Amino acid sequence: MASTVQPTSSLKRRDSMPTRESDQLTITPLGAGSEVGRSCVYMTFKGKTVLFDCGIHPAYSGMAALPYFDEIDPSKIDVLLITHFHLDHAASLPYFLEKTTFKGRVFMTHATKAIYKLLLTDYVKVSKVSVEDMLFDEQDILRSMDKIEVIDFHQTLEVNGIRFWCYTAGHVLGAAMFMVDIAGVRVLYTGDFSREEDRHLRAAELPQFSPDICIIESTYGVQLQQSRSVREKRFTDVIHSTVAQGGRVLIPAFALGRAQELLLILDEYWANHPELHNIPIYYASPLAKRCMAVYQTYINSMNERIRNQFATSNPFMFKHISPLKSIDNFDDVGPSVVMASPGGLQSGLSRQLFDKWCGDKKNSCLIPGYVVEGTLAKTIINEPKEVQLMNGLTAPLNMQVHYISFSAHADYAQTSTFLKELMPPNIILVHGEANEMGRLKQKLISLFADRNTKIMSPKNCQSVEMHFNSEKMAKTIGKLAEKTPEVGEAVSGLLVKKGFSYQIMASEDLHVFSQLSTANVMQRISIPYTGAFGVIKHRLKQIYESVESSTDDESGVPTLRVHDKVTVKQESEKHVSLHWSADPISDMVSDSVVALVLNASREMPKVVVESEPVKDEVEDEKKAEKIINAILVSLFGDVKLGENGKLVITVDGNVAHLDKQSGDVESENAGLKERVRMAFQRIQTAVKPIPLSAS
Amino acid sequence: MGTSVQVTPLCGVYNENPLSYLVSIDGFNFLLDCGWTDHFDPSLLDPLSRVAASVDAVLLSHSDTLHLGALPYAMKQLGLSAPVFSTIPVHRLGLLTLYDHYFSRKQVSEFDLFTLDDVDSAFQNVTALAYSQNHHMSGKGEGIVISPHEAGRLLGGTIWKITKDGEDVIYAVDFNHRKERHLNGTVLESFVRPAVLITDAYNALNSQPARRQRDQEFIDTILRTLKGDGSVLLPVDTAGRILELILILEQCWGQLHLTYPIYFLTNVSSSTIDYVKSFLEWMSDSIAKSFENSRDNSFLLKHVKLLISKAELENVPDGPKVVLSSMASLEAGFSHDIFIEWAADVKNLVLFTERGQFGTLARMLQSDPPPKAVKVTLSKRVPLVGEELAAYEEEQERIKKEEALKATLIKEEESKAAVGADIPVGDPMAVDAAFPSGNAYRDILIDGFVSPSTSVAPMFPFYENSSEWDDFGEVINPDDYVIKEEDMEHASMAVDGDLDGKFDEGAASLILDMKPSKVVSSELTVQVKSSLSYMDFEGRSDGRSVKSILGHVAPLKLVLVHGSAEATEHLKQYCLKHVCPYVYAPQIDETIDVTSDLCAYKVQLSEKLMSNVRFKKLGDYEIAWVDAEVGKTENDMLSLLPLSTPAPPHKSVLVGDIKMPDFKQFLESKGIQVEFAGVGAMRCGEHVTLRKVGDASQKGGGATIQQIVIEGPLSEEYYMIRNYLYSQFYSL
Repeated sequence: MASTVQPTSSLKRRDSMPTRESDQLTITPLGAGSEVGRSCVYMTFKGKTVLFDCGIHPAYSGMAALPYFDEIDPSKIDVLLITHFHLDHAASLPYFLEKTTFKGRVFMTHATKAIYKLLLTDYVKVSKVSVEDMLFDEQDILRSMDKIEVIDFHQTLEVNGIRFWCYTAGHVLGAAMFMVDIAGVRVLYTGDFSREEDRHLRAAELPQFSPDICIIESTYGVQLQQSRSVREKRFTDVIHSTVAQGGRVLIPAFALGRAQELLLILDEYWANHPELHNIPIYYASPLAKRCMAVYQTYINSMNERIRNQFATSNPFMFKHISPLKSIDNFDDVGPSVVMASPGGLQSGLSRQLFDKWCGDKKNSCLIPGYVVEGTLAKTIINEPKEVQLMNGLTAPLNMQVHYISFSAHADYAQTSTFLKELMPPNIILVHGEANEMGRLKQKLISLFADRNTKIMSPKNCQSVEMHFNSEKMAKTIGKLAEKTPEVGEAVSGLLVKKGFSYQIMASEDLHVFSQLSTANVMQRISIPYTGAFGVIKHRLKQIYESVESSTDDESGVPTLRVHDKVTVKQESEKHVSLHWSADPISDMVSDSVVALVLNASREMPKVVVESEPVKDEVEDEKKAEKIINAILVSLFGDVKLGENGKLVITVDGNVAHLDKQSGDVESENAGLKERVRMAFQRIQTAVKPIPLSAS
Repeated sequence: MGTSVQVTPLCGVYNENPLSYLVSIDGFNFLLDCGWTDHFDPSLLDPLSRVAASVDAVLLSHSDTLHLGALPYAMKQLGLSAPVFSTIPVHRLGLLTLYDHYFSRKQVSEFDLFTLDDVDSAFQNVTALAYSQNHHMSGKGEGIVISPHEAGRLLGGTIWKITKDGEDVIYAVDFNHRKERHLNGTVLESFVRPAVLITDAYNALNSQPARRQRDQEFIDTILRTLKGDGSVLLPVDTAGRILELILILEQCWGQLHLTYPIYFLTNVSSSTIDYVKSFLEWMSDSIAKSFENSRDNSFLLKHVKLLISKAELENVPDGPKVVLSSMASLEAGFSHDIFIEWAADVKNLVLFTERGQFGTLARMLQSDPPPKAVKVTLSKRVPLVGEELAAYEEEQERIKKEEALKATLIKEEESKAAVGADIPVGDPMAVDAAFPSGNAYRDILIDGFVSPSTSVAPMFPFYENSSEWDDFGEVINPDDYVIKEEDMEHASMAVDGDLDGKFDEGAASLILDMKPSKVVSSELTVQVKSSLSYMDFEGRSDGRSVKSILGHVAPLKLVLVHGSAEATEHLKQYCLKHVCPYVYAPQIDETIDVTSDLCAYKVQLSEKLMSNVRFKKLGDYEIAWVDAEVGKTENDMLSLLPLSTPAPPHKSVLVGDIKMPDFKQFLESKGIQVEFAGVGAMRCGEHVTLRKVGDASQKGGGATIQQIVIEGPLSEEYYMIRNYLYSQFYSL
C-alpha cells in the first residue's frame, strides 16, 4: 500500500458523525495534492459530495498508484466528474466503479468517454506484462462504460440538488473544466487546461460566472512557456538537423492527446520539405490508430481551423507518417523519426528504442511534454552520464536529449491572467510538483495581495475547510401569498424543499406547485350499541366542552358532533357510527368516544346522573405548577424560586430568570435564555389541555 | 405578482400553416419559430412583417421549412434583426434545407425571394446552444434564461424553456416521446407544472400503429414494388426525417442482404450526411454507444448512395431502385421531376412518409381516392441558344456599357464635386450650397437637362479636368485597375461561407455556371398510374400520447397552436376537462395574456427557524410544516423567525399518493385478504371497506386532493388496516 503518509484526519470518521446540513465546505485532494498524477479531489458541502477525477499515478503500479480512496466513504459520493481521458485523471475509474461501494453517477464528455474505453483497454493490455496485481480487467472497463453518463459542453445537469456544467479546457480532445453549484456556492475545477489555441483544439473558455472557489492545476508553476511558434520551430529544427546528420529521433510521447498535435506538426513540416520525404516517420501506436475515428467524429469539440480543413480533407489522415506495429516490424537501417509510447520511458516500445539508441551521439531523444517525477524520462532531462537499461545493465548516455514542451498546460502567464479575470475569492492549487506549486503560491499571493484572496495548496488527504453563510431564501406562493404579511404576523404552511430551493405554501396548494399530492382519509366506524342515544350524549358532555346535537339530514337519525371533529350517529337500534376525518387529534377524540360508547353499553342498566363535577381550578393550577417545577429541575438542575414569583435557574454559573406567567426569560447568556424559553414552552404545551379547536 | 406573459400567434393556428408565434415576457419579445411553406407565399408572413422589427430574440425549434423557412426572407425584407438561437444541428441542417430549397427553386424558376447570401447572413446571426445549456439573456432581457431541451423528431429538435423569476414558459411543438433509431425521445415529461406551456394540436386526432408493425409494413411495401421490377420514390425533406428513413433502410438492407440500389438525392445530400456524421452527441444513446464501443458511426452508409444531381441519377443502371429525394411536397426539387417521369408506370410506387403541406401536389396525391391524373408544371432551366443567346448577349453588353458609362460619369461627377466644393462662394458657377455633392450633377446628367429647382443658374456643368500630374504622368489610384477577384470568390463564398468550404458540385455548378439560361415551363397532365402510399414517419407523438404527456406536465396555463381547427378544438376540450382549467387557442394576431395570477413573495429563512425544522423526505422533495413569525432583516427583507408563542394547532396534512392496486399488494403482503369491489372500492379482510372518491378521471398533476374513505365495524382489523393506510402517507 502506498499509504505511508499518515493522514491528518480521517474523513471517514468525520462522515460517520451525524451529518447536519452545515455551511462548511470541505475540499480534500485524495491525489494530485502537491504532486502530479492520480488526480482526485473530494469536495463536500451541505451533505452533497462531489469527486473530481479519478486517476492513477503513472510512476507507481498496483494499489500504490491509486488515490487515497480509503480516506473517504465512496457510497456517500453523489457525483463523480472526469475532466479528460488521460491516465492520471481517469484510469482508476474502473476500479472505483467496480471495486468500491460507490453508487453515485459518473459524467464525462462524449469524446472523453469514447477514448477512455480504448485507452484503458490498451492500458490493461500493456501493464499485464509488468504488473501482477491488476487493479481491474477489460470486463471491468466494459461494465464501467454502462455506468458512465455523458455531458455536452455547457449542458447544465442537476443531480441531487448539485448543479454542474462544463467548459472547454483545451489540453486534449474532450477536456473539460467543471463548474459545480451547490446551494449557490460555485466551485470551478479546471482539470488540466490550456488557454492557448493550438492546431486542433480550442483554448480554454473563461467562465461567465466567477466561482467562489477555483481548484486549479499548477503543473507549470511559475514557468513561462515560449510561444507556440518558437517551440514548433525548435522541435522541427532538432528533428531536421538530427536526421540530416543521419541520426534517429525518438519522441517518447503518450499515445493520445498531444501526440496528435505533434503528428499534425510533423506531417505539415514534411509536406513543406520535400528533401525529407525519403526519411520515414513512424507512429508506433495501434491505439492512436484506433482513436482516429473519434478524432474524426467529434470535430465540433475542435477549433475552426480543423473544422475548415475537415471539410476538404481529413487532417488526421497523415501523408508522411506510417504506423508501426512493434519493434519486430521496424527496419532500423537509417535515419528515421519514431514517436512511441509511453511518454515516461518506463517500459514498452519507447524504452526498447531508447535502450537501442542511447549510445549513439548522432541520435536525439525529444521529450515533448511534461514528464512525471520518478520516470526515466525525468532522469535523462538532467543528462546523466549513464543510464540503466531494461536488462539491468548500465550504459553511457550519449544521445542528445531535448526537452521541448508541447503539453498543453497553462503556464504562469496563462494561469495568472485566467485567475485575474476570474477573481475567485478562494484558490486551491493541485496537480503540481510541490516546489513548483510553492513558488506559484508565493507569486499568486503577491499578485492578489491587495485583495482578500485565499490561496491554498493542500497535500494529499489534507482538508481545506471554508465556511459559506448562504442565506436561505424561500418563495411563498399560492394562497398563502395572497397578501404579503406585515412584520409580526404569523405564517404557517408547508415548507417544501427541492434541491436547494425552498417554497412555502398552503397544504391545499401542494398538488398545484409540486408533484406531491395530499389526501384526506375519512373514517367511518360502527359500534354495536343498544342503549339510549341520550346516554352517550350525556357522557360526552361530561368530558367535552362542545357537544352539539342535531339530526342527520338524510336519514333523520340523531347525531352528535364533538368539537366539530367527530360525528356520532345513531344508525339503528343496535349500532352507532362514528365519522371523522383522520387527524392525530381527531383520532384521539374518536378513540375516547369509542371507549365511552363501549363503557356506556357495558354499564347499560344503571343510568346514573352524576352531578356536574366541580372544577377545582386552583387544584389543577397547583398540580400543573408542581409538574412544571419537577420537569425544569430534571432539565436544568438548579431551579430556585426567586423574588416576585420568578424562577431562578442556574446552569454552569449562568443565571436565567423565568416568569412562569408570561413565559418571559431574562438571562445574560443568550444560549441559556433560548433553551429555557423553549423548554418552558414545550412543558406548558404538554401540561395544558389539548386545544381542540384547530385553526 | 408573476411575470407578465403574452402570446400572439403570427401564423399557424387552427390550421397546418407554418409555425410562428410571438411571446412577450415582461416586454421582451421572443419570436418562436419563423416558418414558411414550400410555396413561399409572402402573404403568409403579413402578421410577422408588422411585428418583425420589435422582436428581441428568435428561437428556432426544428430544422425544417415549417419552422425556419422564412428566416432569411424576414431578415432581409421584413426588418427582422434580432439574434437567433438554436441548437447546432438545427443551425447546420436548417441552413442545408434552405440551400436545397434555393437550388431546387432556382433550377425551375426565377426565384428571387431570397438568395444564398441571404441564407448565409441570416444564419450568421445564430447563436448555437447545446441541450440543457442555460443562456442568460442580457440587456433588455436581463433575468431571462433560455435553454433548449431534446424534442425528438428531428436531429437537434428543441423544446424551449424560457425562465424568468422561477416561472417557466415552455414552447414544445412537434415533439416525439418515442425513442427512435437516431434520436432519443423528448424530455418534455421531465418538466412539471410550468407556468405556461405552448404546444401544438397537430396530431391530436391522430393515432399510430406500433413502430415495429409500421416499419415492417414499410419494408414490405418497398420490397414488393422492387420485386415487381418497379422503382420506389420517397419524397422526403432535406435533412430531417430522412435520417431515420436512411437508418431503417440501411438496417434492413444489411439484415436481408439486399442488392437493390438506394439513392439519396438532394442538392446537398453529401454535405448533409457529412455533418450528420459529426453530430453523434445529439443522437440516441444506442448510436452513441455503438460508436463508443466499436467506433462504428451509424451514418457511414453502406447501402445508400448519395447523389447531388439529377444527371447522376440518370447515369445509374436501369432497374428497380429506391430513390429518396427532396422536396417532400413534390412542389419542387428532384422529387417533382422524378415523379413526373415515374408516375405513368404502374410498377412504380410513390411512398409518402409525411403528410403533404396544404395545397401541394403531395397533399393532392394523398387524398382518398387518389386522383387519376394531375396537372403539373414542368419547368427547366435551359441554356440560351441562337437568337435568344445573341439577344441576351446584346442585352448584357448594353447593360455593361450602361454601367460603365454610369461609372465613368459618376467618377467624373465625384471629381467634379471635389472641384465644385473648391469653388469659392459667390462664383457664378456655384450651384446651390445645398447640393455640394455630386448628386445634383448626377440628376442633371441622367435625367437630361432637368435642373434642380433650387439651382441658381441652370447651365451645363462645366469643370476643368482635375487630374493631377506629377513627374511620371497622371496620378492614378492603383486600386482602380486591380481585377476584382472578390466578385468571383463571392459567388463561391455564397456556398462555402458557412459550410466551411464544403459544397456539392452540382450546386456549385449552378452558381458558378454563368452561362446565360432561361426557364422554360410547360403545363402537362400526368396520368398517375403508379401506386401511391402514405405511411406516417413524421415522428410526432400521436394524439393519445400527447394527451397523456400533457396530463403529466400539467401546466398551470396551456396555449394550443398549430393543428387543424378540428384537432385544436378537440384537444382544447380534452385539456379543459383533464389537464388544467386555463386552455387557450388564440387566433392569428389575437394577443392573449397568460400572465400567471400566481401570488408570490420572497422571504428569508432565518437560521433560528431552520434549526428547528425537521424535514421529511419524499422522493425529490423534502417537506416540513412551519409556523413562523414575520420579521425584517437589516437590509429590509422579510424574514421568518420562530414563533414567540406556542404554535397554534393546525389540521394535519397527509402527504402522499396512494394507488389502490399498489396498496392492495401491500396489504396482501401483510397477510390481509383484499379484493376489489366496484369502482375505486376495495374490500379488505372481513368487513373493512376502503374507497377512493372523486378523482378517478383526473390524472397526473391535475389531481385535486384525494379523498379516501375507510369504513368498518369496530374491530382490531379496522385499526390494523388504518395503520397500514397511514403508513402510506406522511403526516405533517
